[in-house]
Amino acid sequence: MTAFIAFKIFRAVVTLLVTVTLVFVFIRFSGDPAAALAPPDAPQEIIDQYAKAMGLDKPLWQQYAGYLGGIFRGDFGYSIHTGKSALTLFAERLPATLRLGGTALLIAILLGIPLGSVAALNRRTLLDRCVMAFSVFAFAMPNFLFGLIMILTGALVFNTYLGGSSGAGSWAGVLPPALTLGLAAMGSFARFARSSLLETINKPFMRAAEARGVPFLRRLVRHAAPNAAIPLVTLIGLSLGGLIAGSVVTEQVFAWPGVGQLLVRSVATRDIATVQFIVLAVAFTMVLANLMVDLLYLVIDPRIRAK
Amino acid sequence: MATLRTLALGGLSALAIAASATADDRTAITIAVDNLWPTMDPVIGISTTGARVHSNLFDTLVRRNRWEDPDGKSLVPWLAESWERTTPNVWTIQLREGVTFHDGHVMDAEDVAFSMSAERLWGPEPLARRGTRYARGIIRVEATGPLTVEVETELPDPNFIFRLVTPLGFVLPKHYYEAVGTDEFGQKPMGTGPYKLVSFDPSTSLVAEAYDGYWNGPVPASGLTFQIVPEFSTRFAGLAAGEFDVIVSVPADQVDTVRNTDGIRVMEKSIENYPMFAFNTLSTELLPDNPLTDANLRKAMVTAIDRKGIVEALWGDATFVPSPFNFPEYGDYFDPERKARFTYDPDRSREFLAKSEYDGQELIWHITRGFYPNYETAAEFMVEQWRDVGINVRAKIVDNFSLAYKRPFHMLNMSMSSEFSGDPYRPLWMDWGPLSSRTRASHKTWVPTDKFLELGEKFEAAQEFKARHAAYLELVEEWENVTPGMYLWRNVVSYATRDDLAWDPGNSAVTIFDKMYLE
Repeated sequence: MTAFIAFKIFRAVVTLLVTVTLVFVFIRFSGDPAAALAPPDAPQEIIDQYAKAMGLDKPLWQQYAGYLGGIFRGDFGYSIHTGKSALTLFAERLPATLRLGGTALLIAILLGIPLGSVAALNRRTLLDRCVMAFSVFAFAMPNFLFGLIMILTGALVFNTYLGGSSGAGSWAGVLPPALTLGLAAMGSFARFARSSLLETINKPFMRAAEARGVPFLRRLVRHAAPNAAIPLVTLIGLSLGGLIAGSVVTEQVFAWPGVGQLLVRSVATRDIATVQFIVLAVAFTMVLANLMVDLLYLVIDPRIRAK
Repeated sequence: MATLRTLALGGLSALAIAASATADDRTAITIAVDNLWPTMDPVIGISTTGARVHSNLFDTLVRRNRWEDPDGKSLVPWLAESWERTTPNVWTIQLREGVTFHDGHVMDAEDVAFSMSAERLWGPEPLARRGTRYARGIIRVEATGPLTVEVETELPDPNFIFRLVTPLGFVLPKHYYEAVGTDEFGQKPMGTGPYKLVSFDPSTSLVAEAYDGYWNGPVPASGLTFQIVPEFSTRFAGLAAGEFDVIVSVPADQVDTVRNTDGIRVMEKSIENYPMFAFNTLSTELLPDNPLTDANLRKAMVTAIDRKGIVEALWGDATFVPSPFNFPEYGDYFDPERKARFTYDPDRSREFLAKSEYDGQELIWHITRGFYPNYETAAEFMVEQWRDVGINVRAKIVDNFSLAYKRPFHMLNMSMSSEFSGDPYRPLWMDWGPLSSRTRASHKTWVPTDKFLELGEKFEAAQEFKARHAAYLELVEEWENVTPGMYLWRNVVSYATRDDLAWDPGNSAVTIFDKMYLE
């Protein structure tokens, strides 16, 4: 079991290293950051001055070594525009994103899994068909479109602005963007919950429990649910990792002051340190979430522990 | 003494604020913008998104009067009360008395000298590099009295005062800037303007409150919030629902929809910036046999395009096609009768084409995505019109300017701003002359002809209107002879406001909410 955990951790570290390198390379090939900082018609010597100030005049390997060294020392660089550390900028925006992503995930779990379970228990009925139709719609609806429809309907029909403007971050204000962000996840949770529960309730041990006279509710909660939960835990884990990354579009549409908006702005203004840190942070949460899921399997499923 | 004065004024303005706070029936205004520049230093932050804010926090020495004339052809003394050209190369500027920064500190000549100093703008490695071009040619800035500043230029510059309406003219508080440093100043800017910063977060909003010690009060709104709302539909929804008072950048194809919404007013303003493209007239390593080295092909391309038709289709009557360097903002230099020498004429285009050795090879046109409104749409029309006469152009849309500048390309999108000097000096000589990026940058597209250089020097040296005007006409003629680029239209910015807001920015992308512009 120690070998299992060690391997997973080793894999996580390698993934992070590859991510860091790719970000470093791609951001430098997607247009000269120094030229992006200078006005569009700036003469070459001004662009060169920017490059020097940002350390971009050094050879690439030196920049890379400096960057990696910085990461290990916990120094993730400073925003070229504001002089603030990338870590600070990220930390300032993180609470808004977590509130949005957390609420979205909560909506997805609290609505998606019960919907899927209801569909599974009423298999091949009208209710099942309706729930599944809704989950396909939820999954297929692009969230920017759903968000825009919601905002425009709110404004033009109900005279209410649903975007997160100056009052952003309030708990009431979080619902429209969270619903938008959580919609797709809700759809997939419902579908997974349905198929997983269906598979489980048809297993022999469920019939055995029924034959032993175990009441329905107990069968469902004590026998079926833990077994059906395994694929759902994976799915929730993955969604958890995507919380920070996934909100980029929703944050743009709703003007939500989170990490997603910071990322878009930083890419547009070629704020290298900030972009690098955000991507690294997203990769880190992804990797961490995967690792947690792997470890959680050990807790939920005795068969994996035994192996 | 200075401290005493500061204290006294600070106390007075505090009283004024307290008094107005109790009887404040003004409303606060929220402006939904697509973006905010990450620093609010008015020179380091030179940009469209910064300019919407700067003049509300800061004042320039001189202002253009756009409240009476949308094109702002006349200059108005602002923080400078008067000016005089004491020798051909020296300007003496007299400052207004009793102007205070937002901390109550009195503005004086030292602040002005610092704002325009070598250290900040024109020395070897200036703090605010974006300002170098505005300060070009300045060799001395000196406070010669408490409210008197002398500026000396390398060459005689009869139009120097026009530069003081540009970001060069913003006055920053020396004491505060030096205390907090460049980065911090950009995050917590302080000036003499009508509004005083409350908070600034470059990825969400900038909030300011009325500065009741403002020298040109009363300040008409109790505060301003510039709120970043990247998505247009969301800005529109916020305006329709009453959350915002002003929104910027209504896409050209949405103007009618917004205009037809109850309670909303749309303003389309043509501004002093001209989207165009440059022909790459050079043969380079990556483009060894560039057919555009031949002026005949360039003229064939210019005469193949029905710019007027395209502009009417895309913009209605919001803008127009200028003839080269002949802009309404130039007062006496502007001649509405003077037409471009090469205009839409497909037959003439075919004649030019026949004279060239063009063999139908593909010409690549680099365009920066979404940078100039309607540019890509116009490009589609133009590519078809070129195809009609037998010229094969491919518009290659890229994500940013540094990708657009990457060779090889045959044509490059660009725009030219006409601010700066009250005459065509900037677009004609600074943007195409021997020191321009057209000539020197890694993405340079032409080498000025000897005649162009000779005429340009004559133009630069001319001190009187008559001589300068004559030199200007000759220089334009030479530019058209070479045809190193083509103008498309005068750029358009758009605003939508709630219809009871009496605010009009004039023909400008600069938004100011003081009593001159807002009732």
